[in-house]
Amino acid sequence: MAAMNADAGLERAHAIVDPPNGTIPYRPEALARRVQNFENRAKADPETKCFQPGVPRAAYLRSPFQIFQNGRAVYMVYQDVHAYRIIYLDGKPHNEGLPFAMGDSRGRWEGQTLVADVTSFSDTTWLDAAGDYHSDRLHVVERYTRTNHDTLMYEATIEDPEVFMRPWKIRIPLRLQKGIQIVEDECEEGENGRRHHVPLFKPAP
Amino acid sequence: MRLFLFLIPISAFGQSTTFEPPRQHDGHPDLNGVWRSGAIVAAFNVEGQKAFYNEPGGPSVIVDPQDGKLPYLPATLQSANDNHVHRERDPTGHCHTHGVPRMLVPPFPIEIVEDSGNVVLLSETEHSVRIILLDGRPHPRNYRAWNGDSRGHWEGDTLVVDVSNFNGRTWLDQAGNLVDENEHVVERFTMTGPDTIVYEARVEDPTVYSRAWTMRFSLLRQPKGTELIEYDCIEGERSEVHYPGAAQKKP
Repeated sequence: MAAMNADAGLERAHAIVDPPNGTIPYRPEALARRVQNFENRAKADPETKCFQPGVPRAAYLRSPFQIFQNGRAVYMVYQDVHAYRIIYLDGKPHNEGLPFAMGDSRGRWEGQTLVADVTSFSDTTWLDAAGDYHSDRLHVVERYTRTNHDTLMYEATIEDPEVFMRPWKIRIPLRLQKGIQIVEDECEEGENGRRHHVPLFKPAP
Repeated sequence: MRLFLFLIPISAFGQSTTFEPPRQHDGHPDLNGVWRSGAIVAAFNVEGQKAFYNEPGGPSVIVDPQDGKLPYLPATLQSANDNHVHRERDPTGHCHTHGVPRMLVPPFPIEIVEDSGNVVLLSETEHSVRIILLDGRPHPRNYRAWNGDSRGHWEGDTLVVDVSNFNGRTWLDQAGNLVDENEHVVERFTMTGPDTIVYEARVEDPTVYSRAWTMRFSLLRQPKGTELIEYDCIEGERSEVHYPGAAQKKP
Protein backbone atom coordinates (compact mmCIF):
# COMPACT_ATOMS: atom_id res chain seq x y z
CA MET A 1 0.00 0.00 0.00
CA ALA A 2 1.19 3.50 -0.72
CA ALA A 3 2.06 6.13 1.80
CA MET A 4 -0.63 7.37 4.13
CA ASN A 5 -0.85 10.22 6.54
CA ALA A 6 -3.40 11.73 8.82
CA ASP A 7 -5.35 14.88 8.17
CA ALA A 8 -4.05 16.43 11.34
CA GLY A 9 -2.61 15.65 14.72
CA LEU A 10 -4.63 14.43 17.64
CA GLU A 11 -7.34 17.07 17.76
CA ARG A 12 -9.23 15.86 20.70
CA ALA A 13 -12.71 17.04 19.90
CA HIS A 14 -12.55 15.21 16.59
CA ALA A 15 -10.22 12.30 17.26
CA ILE A 16 -11.55 10.99 20.58
CA VAL A 17 -14.76 9.08 19.97
CA ASP A 18 -14.96 7.46 23.38
CA PRO A 19 -15.68 8.87 25.93
CA PRO A 20 -18.30 10.83 24.02
CA ASN A 21 -17.24 14.13 25.57
CA GLY A 22 -13.93 13.85 23.70
CA THR A 23 -11.78 14.18 26.81
CA ILE A 24 -9.01 11.82 27.86
CA PRO A 25 -10.12 10.18 31.13
CA TYR A 26 -7.02 10.94 33.20
CA ARG A 27 -6.77 9.65 36.70
CA PRO A 28 -6.89 12.73 38.94
CA GLU A 29 -3.38 12.13 40.22
CA ALA A 30 -2.05 11.75 36.67
CA LEU A 31 -3.39 15.05 35.40
CA ALA A 32 -0.73 17.22 37.03
CA ARG A 33 1.99 15.73 34.89
CA ARG A 34 -0.03 16.34 31.77
CA VAL A 35 -0.35 20.00 32.71
CA GLN A 36 3.36 20.17 33.39
CA ASN A 37 4.15 18.44 30.08
CA PHE A 38 2.02 21.00 28.27
CA GLU A 39 3.83 23.89 29.87
CA ASN A 40 7.20 22.40 29.01
CA ARG A 41 6.22 20.94 25.67
CA ALA A 42 8.68 22.98 23.61
CA LYS A 43 11.57 21.17 25.26
CA ALA A 44 10.00 18.12 26.88
CA ASP A 45 8.18 16.59 23.93
CA PRO A 46 10.21 13.48 22.97
CA GLU A 47 9.48 14.39 19.36
CA THR A 48 11.67 17.48 19.77
CA LYS A 49 14.59 15.15 20.42
CA CYS A 50 15.35 12.16 18.27
CA PHE A 51 13.10 9.62 19.95
CA GLN A 52 10.89 7.34 17.94
CA PRO A 53 7.31 8.63 17.95
CA GLY A 54 5.60 5.76 19.76
CA VAL A 55 2.17 4.26 19.27
CA PRO A 56 -0.47 5.44 18.46
CA ARG A 57 1.19 8.82 17.78
CA ALA A 58 3.12 7.49 14.80
CA ALA A 59 -0.14 7.05 12.91
CA TYR A 60 -1.19 10.69 13.07
CA LEU A 61 2.02 12.61 12.61
CA ARG A 62 2.22 15.15 9.82
CA SER A 63 4.81 13.04 8.05
CA PRO A 64 3.64 10.02 6.06
CA PHE A 65 4.17 6.35 6.58
CA GLN A 66 4.03 3.44 4.19
CA ILE A 67 2.60 -0.02 4.69
CA PHE A 68 4.26 -3.09 3.24
CA GLN A 69 2.91 -6.61 3.42
CA ASN A 70 4.33 -10.03 2.72
CA GLY A 71 3.34 -13.48 3.85
CA ARG A 72 4.94 -12.98 7.23
CA ALA A 73 3.78 -9.67 8.63
CA VAL A 74 2.55 -6.15 8.00
CA TYR A 75 5.33 -3.56 8.11
CA MET A 76 4.67 0.06 9.02
CA VAL A 77 7.54 2.24 7.86
CA TYR A 78 7.27 5.78 9.21
CA GLN A 79 9.14 8.64 7.65
CA ASP A 80 9.58 10.19 11.08
CA VAL A 81 13.10 9.27 12.30
CA HIS A 82 12.86 6.17 10.07
CA ALA A 83 10.95 4.34 12.77
CA TYR A 84 9.32 1.10 11.73
CA ARG A 85 7.07 -1.54 13.26
CA ILE A 86 6.58 -5.15 12.33
CA ILE A 87 3.06 -6.42 13.04
CA TYR A 88 3.40 -10.19 13.11
CA LEU A 89 0.48 -12.27 11.96
CA ASP A 90 1.72 -15.72 12.99
CA GLY A 91 -0.15 -15.87 16.29
CA LYS A 92 2.95 -15.88 18.44
CA PRO A 93 2.68 -14.17 21.83
CA HIS A 94 4.07 -10.75 22.67
CA ASN A 95 7.73 -10.21 23.37
CA GLU A 96 6.94 -9.12 26.91
CA GLY A 97 8.73 -7.02 29.42
CA LEU A 98 11.05 -4.95 27.26
CA PRO A 99 10.62 -1.17 27.07
CA PHE A 100 10.08 -0.52 23.37
CA ALA A 101 9.28 3.01 22.18
CA MET A 102 7.17 1.51 19.39
CA GLY A 103 5.88 -1.40 21.47
CA ASP A 104 5.57 -5.04 20.42
CA SER A 105 2.83 -5.57 17.83
CA ARG A 106 0.89 -8.76 17.18
CA GLY A 107 -1.82 -8.65 14.54
CA ARG A 108 -4.71 -10.57 13.12
CA TRP A 109 -7.37 -10.01 10.50
CA GLU A 110 -10.98 -9.56 11.54
CA GLY A 111 -12.73 -9.58 8.21
CA GLN A 112 -11.35 -6.61 6.29
CA THR A 113 -9.82 -5.04 9.39
CA LEU A 114 -6.24 -5.43 10.52
CA VAL A 115 -6.24 -5.54 14.31
CA ALA A 116 -2.93 -4.97 16.08
CA ASP A 117 -2.43 -5.56 19.77
CA VAL A 118 0.51 -3.51 21.02
CA THR A 119 2.23 -3.88 24.41
CA SER A 120 5.73 -3.77 25.95
CA PHE A 121 6.05 -0.02 25.82
CA SER A 122 8.61 2.27 27.33
CA ASP A 123 7.27 5.34 29.10
CA THR A 124 9.41 7.61 26.94
CA THR A 125 6.90 8.65 24.27
CA TRP A 126 3.93 11.00 24.28
CA LEU A 127 0.55 10.70 22.62
CA ASP A 128 0.64 14.14 21.02
CA ALA A 129 2.46 17.48 21.08
CA ALA A 130 0.22 18.77 23.86
CA GLY A 131 1.83 16.59 26.51
CA ASP A 132 -0.68 13.77 26.72
CA TYR A 133 1.35 10.85 27.97
CA HIS A 134 1.31 7.26 29.16
CA SER A 135 3.25 4.91 31.40
CA ASP A 136 5.00 1.67 30.53
CA ARG A 137 1.70 -0.10 31.24
CA LEU A 138 0.24 1.29 28.02
CA HIS A 139 -1.73 -1.19 25.95
CA VAL A 140 -3.04 -0.19 22.54
CA VAL A 141 -5.39 -2.07 20.25
CA GLU A 142 -5.33 -0.61 16.75
CA ARG A 143 -7.81 -1.24 13.97
CA TYR A 144 -6.97 -0.41 10.36
CA THR A 145 -9.90 -0.55 7.94
CA ARG A 146 -9.77 0.60 4.34
CA THR A 147 -13.15 2.22 3.96
CA ASN A 148 -12.56 3.35 0.38
CA HIS A 149 -9.66 3.49 -2.05
CA ASP A 150 -8.14 6.60 -0.56
CA THR A 151 -9.07 6.20 3.10
CA LEU A 152 -7.69 3.98 5.81
CA MET A 153 -9.74 4.40 8.97
CA TYR A 154 -7.50 4.23 12.00
CA GLU A 155 -8.89 3.41 15.41
CA ALA A 156 -6.91 2.93 18.58
CA THR A 157 -8.17 1.88 21.98
CA ILE A 158 -5.78 3.19 24.59
CA GLU A 159 -5.53 1.59 27.99
CA ASP A 160 -3.14 2.44 30.81
CA PRO A 161 -4.38 1.82 34.35
CA GLU A 162 -1.62 3.95 35.80
CA VAL A 163 -2.64 7.08 33.89
CA PHE A 164 -6.24 6.67 32.75
CA MET A 165 -9.45 5.83 34.60
CA ARG A 166 -10.74 3.72 31.74
CA PRO A 167 -9.83 2.77 28.17
CA TRP A 168 -10.53 5.43 25.58
CA LYS A 169 -10.65 5.45 21.86
CA ILE A 170 -9.52 7.62 18.96
CA ARG A 171 -10.63 7.41 15.35
CA ILE A 172 -8.71 9.23 12.62
CA PRO A 173 -9.05 8.83 8.85
CA LEU A 174 -5.70 8.38 7.09
CA ARG A 175 -5.56 9.61 3.50
CA LEU A 176 -3.72 7.92 0.67
CA GLN A 177 -0.88 10.19 -0.44
CA LYS A 178 -0.33 10.25 -4.17
CA GLY A 179 2.89 11.01 -5.97
CA ILE A 180 5.11 11.09 -2.94
CA GLN A 181 7.64 8.69 -1.59
CA ILE A 182 8.99 8.20 1.88
CA VAL A 183 12.35 9.93 2.16
CA GLU A 184 15.01 9.63 4.81
CA ASP A 185 14.36 11.65 7.94
CA GLU A 186 17.59 11.26 9.84
CA CYS A 187 17.23 13.15 13.06
CA GLU A 188 20.03 15.31 14.32
CA GLU A 189 20.12 17.30 17.49
CA GLY A 190 21.45 20.81 17.43
CA GLU A 191 23.47 22.71 20.00
CA ASN A 192 20.40 23.47 22.09
CA GLY A 193 19.38 19.83 22.25
CA ARG A 194 16.42 20.30 19.95
CA ARG A 195 16.34 18.23 16.87
CA HIS A 196 16.36 19.41 13.34
CA HIS A 197 15.18 17.11 10.65
CA VAL A 198 16.68 16.68 7.27
CA PRO A 199 14.32 18.87 5.26
CA LEU A 200 11.45 16.98 3.73
CA PHE A 201 11.69 16.58 0.01
CA LYS A 202 9.25 15.69 -2.68
CA PRO A 203 11.44 13.81 -5.11
CA ALA A 204 11.34 15.18 -8.63
CA PRO A 205 9.41 12.83 -10.94
CA MET B 1 41.89 -32.15 -16.35
CA ARG B 2 40.81 -29.21 -18.43
CA LEU B 3 37.61 -31.01 -19.39
CA PHE B 4 36.85 -31.71 -15.72
CA LEU B 5 37.13 -28.04 -14.83
CA PHE B 6 34.93 -27.17 -17.74
CA LEU B 7 32.13 -29.28 -16.36
CA ILE B 8 31.94 -27.51 -13.03
CA PRO B 9 29.05 -25.05 -13.21
CA ILE B 10 30.49 -21.65 -12.52
CA SER B 11 28.74 -18.35 -12.08
CA ALA B 12 30.23 -14.94 -11.62
CA PHE B 13 30.48 -15.77 -7.93
CA GLY B 14 32.21 -19.06 -8.44
CA GLN B 15 29.17 -20.79 -6.93
CA SER B 16 26.80 -23.35 -8.27
CA THR B 17 24.16 -21.89 -10.53
CA THR B 18 21.94 -24.94 -10.29
CA PHE B 19 20.06 -23.63 -7.26
CA GLU B 20 16.43 -22.93 -8.05
CA PRO B 21 15.29 -20.19 -5.67
CA PRO B 22 11.82 -20.04 -4.16
CA ARG B 23 9.80 -17.57 -6.18
CA GLN B 24 7.18 -14.93 -5.63
CA HIS B 25 3.98 -14.86 -7.61
CA ASP B 26 5.60 -12.55 -10.15
CA GLY B 27 8.32 -15.14 -10.79
CA HIS B 28 11.20 -13.28 -9.14
CA PRO B 29 13.18 -14.93 -6.37
CA ASP B 30 11.58 -14.73 -2.94
CA LEU B 31 14.16 -13.00 -0.74
CA ASN B 32 11.73 -12.35 2.10
CA GLY B 33 13.10 -13.25 5.48
CA VAL B 34 15.51 -12.40 8.25
CA TRP B 35 19.18 -12.49 7.27
CA ARG B 36 22.51 -11.65 8.78
CA SER B 37 25.98 -11.04 7.46
CA GLY B 38 28.18 -14.12 7.33
CA ALA B 39 31.31 -11.97 7.52
CA ILE B 40 31.04 -10.15 10.82
CA VAL B 41 34.63 -8.96 10.53
CA ALA B 42 33.46 -6.50 7.87
CA ALA B 43 31.54 -4.56 10.51
CA PHE B 44 34.87 -3.88 12.14
CA ASN B 45 37.07 -3.56 9.09
CA VAL B 46 36.11 -4.30 5.50
CA GLU B 47 39.80 -4.96 4.77
CA GLY B 48 39.80 -7.73 7.38
CA GLN B 49 41.70 -7.83 10.64
CA LYS B 50 43.19 -10.08 13.25
CA ALA B 51 40.96 -10.84 16.22
CA PHE B 52 41.66 -8.68 19.25
CA TYR B 53 39.79 -7.88 22.44
CA ASN B 54 36.14 -8.68 21.67
CA GLU B 55 36.44 -8.05 17.94
CA PRO B 56 36.43 -11.00 15.56
CA GLY B 57 39.17 -11.58 13.03
CA GLY B 58 38.82 -12.62 9.43
CA PRO B 59 39.84 -11.95 5.88
CA SER B 60 39.00 -8.88 3.83
CA VAL B 61 35.58 -8.92 2.16
CA ILE B 62 37.06 -6.92 -0.71
CA VAL B 63 37.41 -9.21 -3.71
CA ASP B 64 38.53 -6.56 -6.16
CA PRO B 65 41.30 -5.37 -6.00
CA GLN B 66 42.64 -8.84 -5.35
CA ASP B 67 44.89 -7.72 -2.51
CA GLY B 68 41.76 -6.97 -0.47
CA LYS B 69 42.84 -3.38 0.13
CA LEU B 70 40.78 -0.29 -0.54
CA PRO B 71 42.38 1.65 -3.43
CA TYR B 72 42.56 4.99 -1.64
CA LEU B 73 43.82 8.11 -3.28
CA PRO B 74 46.85 9.30 -1.25
CA ALA B 75 45.00 12.29 0.25
CA THR B 76 42.01 10.29 1.43
CA LEU B 77 44.16 7.52 2.87
CA GLN B 78 45.25 10.16 5.37
CA SER B 79 41.59 10.88 6.17
CA ALA B 80 40.94 7.20 6.76
CA ASN B 81 43.94 7.03 9.06
CA ASP B 82 42.66 10.06 10.96
CA ASN B 83 39.26 8.41 11.30
CA HIS B 84 40.96 5.30 12.64
CA VAL B 85 42.64 7.34 15.35
CA HIS B 86 39.33 9.10 16.11
CA ARG B 87 36.96 6.17 15.99
CA GLU B 88 34.70 7.99 18.45
CA ARG B 89 33.59 9.96 15.40
CA ASP B 90 31.99 6.86 13.87
CA PRO B 91 28.51 8.10 12.86
CA THR B 92 26.84 4.87 14.00
CA GLY B 93 28.35 5.48 17.44
CA HIS B 94 26.19 8.59 17.44
CA CYS B 95 23.10 6.59 16.46
CA HIS B 96 23.23 7.57 12.81
CA THR B 97 22.06 5.32 10.05
CA HIS B 98 24.73 3.27 8.29
CA GLY B 99 24.81 4.18 4.66
CA VAL B 100 25.55 1.63 1.97
CA PRO B 101 27.02 -0.99 1.88
CA ARG B 102 27.54 -0.71 5.64
CA MET B 103 23.86 -1.37 6.33
CA LEU B 104 24.43 -5.00 5.37
CA VAL B 105 27.50 -5.69 7.49
CA PRO B 106 26.53 -5.34 11.17
CA PRO B 107 26.33 -8.42 13.39
CA PHE B 108 22.59 -7.76 13.77
CA PRO B 109 19.78 -9.14 11.65
CA ILE B 110 18.21 -7.42 8.68
CA GLU B 111 14.83 -8.23 7.21
CA ILE B 112 14.08 -8.19 3.51
CA VAL B 113 10.47 -7.40 2.65
CA GLU B 114 9.22 -7.71 -0.91
CA ASP B 115 5.87 -6.13 -1.70
CA SER B 116 4.60 -5.35 -5.19
CA GLY B 117 7.33 -3.33 -6.79
CA ASN B 118 9.22 -2.49 -3.63
CA VAL B 119 11.99 -4.21 -1.76
CA VAL B 120 12.45 -2.91 1.76
CA LEU B 121 15.54 -3.52 3.86
CA LEU B 122 14.98 -3.15 7.58
CA SER B 123 18.03 -3.18 9.80
CA GLU B 124 17.69 -3.92 13.47
CA THR B 125 20.61 -1.73 14.40
CA GLU B 126 19.87 2.03 14.26
CA HIS B 127 16.43 1.00 12.89
CA SER B 128 17.81 1.84 9.47
CA VAL B 129 15.42 1.55 6.55
CA ARG B 130 15.97 1.44 2.83
CA ILE B 131 13.02 1.41 0.46
CA ILE B 132 14.28 0.14 -2.89
CA LEU B 133 11.95 1.21 -5.69
CA LEU B 134 11.71 -1.12 -8.67
CA ASP B 135 9.50 1.09 -10.83
CA GLY B 136 12.22 2.07 -13.28
CA ARG B 137 12.27 5.73 -12.37
CA PRO B 138 15.67 7.43 -12.06
CA HIS B 139 17.26 8.80 -8.91
CA PRO B 140 15.57 12.03 -7.88
CA ARG B 141 17.34 15.32 -8.34
CA ASN B 142 18.22 17.48 -5.33
CA TYR B 143 18.05 14.70 -2.79
CA ARG B 144 20.87 13.63 -0.52
CA ALA B 145 20.63 11.12 2.28
CA TRP B 146 22.75 9.04 4.64
CA ASN B 147 21.50 5.90 2.91
CA GLY B 148 21.38 7.53 -0.52
CA ASP B 149 18.60 6.70 -2.94
CA SER B 150 18.09 3.09 -4.04
CA ARG B 151 16.65 2.01 -7.38
CA GLY B 152 16.45 -1.68 -8.18
CA HIS B 153 15.79 -4.03 -11.04
CA TRP B 154 16.07 -7.73 -11.66
CA GLU B 155 18.77 -9.17 -13.89
CA GLY B 156 17.65 -12.76 -14.18
CA ASP B 157 17.44 -13.99 -10.61
CA THR B 158 19.71 -11.27 -9.23
CA LEU B 159 18.31 -8.14 -7.60
CA VAL B 160 20.51 -5.27 -8.76
CA VAL B 161 20.28 -2.02 -6.81
CA ASP B 162 21.80 1.25 -7.95
CA VAL B 163 22.47 3.52 -4.98
CA SER B 164 23.40 7.17 -5.37
CA ASN B 165 22.61 10.58 -3.82
CA PHE B 166 24.64 10.04 -0.66
CA ASN B 167 25.36 12.83 1.79
CA GLY B 168 28.91 11.59 2.23
CA ARG B 169 28.83 11.45 6.02
CA THR B 170 28.84 7.69 6.51
CA TRP B 171 31.72 5.32 7.12
CA LEU B 172 32.21 1.84 5.72
CA ASP B 173 33.11 0.19 9.01
CA GLN B 174 34.25 0.82 12.55
CA ALA B 175 37.85 1.15 11.41
CA GLY B 176 37.13 4.52 9.80
CA ASN B 177 37.19 3.53 6.14
CA LEU B 178 35.28 6.19 4.30
CA VAL B 179 33.30 7.38 1.34
CA ASP B 180 32.07 10.83 0.42
CA GLU B 181 29.09 12.35 -1.37
CA ASN B 182 30.33 11.10 -4.75
CA GLU B 183 29.87 7.48 -3.72
CA HIS B 184 27.96 5.31 -6.15
CA VAL B 185 27.15 1.71 -5.33
CA VAL B 186 25.80 -1.13 -7.42
CA GLU B 187 24.59 -3.95 -5.21
CA ARG B 188 23.76 -7.46 -6.35
CA PHE B 189 21.66 -9.84 -4.24
CA THR B 190 21.73 -13.43 -5.54
CA MET B 191 20.22 -16.37 -3.73
CA THR B 192 22.64 -19.28 -4.05
CA GLY B 193 20.94 -21.68 -1.66
CA PRO B 194 17.77 -21.83 0.43
CA ASP B 195 19.47 -20.01 3.28
CA THR B 196 22.14 -17.99 1.49
CA ILE B 197 22.20 -14.74 -0.45
CA VAL B 198 25.49 -13.71 -1.98
CA TYR B 199 25.74 -9.96 -1.53
CA GLU B 200 28.05 -7.97 -3.72
CA ALA B 201 28.63 -4.23 -3.72
CA ARG B 202 30.69 -2.43 -6.33
CA VAL B 203 31.64 0.94 -4.95
CA GLU B 204 33.02 3.82 -6.94
CA ASP B 205 33.88 7.19 -5.52
CA PRO B 206 36.36 9.06 -7.70
CA THR B 207 37.21 11.65 -5.06
CA VAL B 208 38.17 8.97 -2.53
CA TYR B 209 39.37 5.96 -4.53
CA SER B 210 41.64 5.58 -7.52
CA ARG B 211 39.35 2.91 -8.98
CA ALA B 212 36.09 1.10 -8.31
CA TRP B 213 36.27 -1.77 -5.84
CA THR B 214 33.99 -4.67 -4.95
CA MET B 215 33.10 -6.35 -1.69
CA ARG B 216 31.32 -9.67 -1.47
CA PHE B 217 30.05 -11.79 1.38
CA SER B 218 27.12 -14.02 2.20
CA LEU B 219 23.92 -13.13 3.99
CA LEU B 220 22.75 -16.10 6.00
CA ARG B 221 19.10 -16.80 6.73
CA GLN B 222 18.46 -16.67 10.47
CA PRO B 223 16.64 -19.51 12.24
CA LYS B 224 12.90 -19.68 11.65
CA GLY B 225 11.06 -17.42 14.06
CA THR B 226 13.88 -14.89 14.41
CA GLU B 227 12.36 -11.45 14.89
CA LEU B 228 13.98 -8.06 14.66
CA ILE B 229 13.60 -6.25 17.94
CA GLU B 230 13.62 -2.55 18.53
CA TYR B 231 17.12 -1.19 18.74
CA ASP B 232 17.19 1.76 21.05
CA CYS B 233 20.28 3.88 20.53
CA ILE B 234 19.41 6.17 23.47
CA GLU B 235 17.57 7.76 20.56
CA GLY B 236 19.43 10.57 19.01
CA GLU B 237 23.02 11.45 18.57
CA ARG B 238 23.21 13.73 21.58
CA SER B 239 20.44 12.58 23.87
CA GLU B 240 22.84 10.73 26.10
CA VAL B 241 24.66 13.98 26.73
CA HIS B 242 21.61 16.18 27.02
CA TYR B 243 19.29 13.89 28.87
CA PRO B 244 21.34 11.78 31.25
CA GLY B 245 18.24 10.88 33.22
CA ALA B 246 16.80 9.14 30.22
CA ALA B 247 20.06 7.38 29.51
CA GLN B 248 20.41 6.07 33.03
CA LYS B 249 16.95 4.61 32.90
CA LYS B 250 17.99 2.20 30.16
CA PRO B 251 18.55 -1.35 31.36
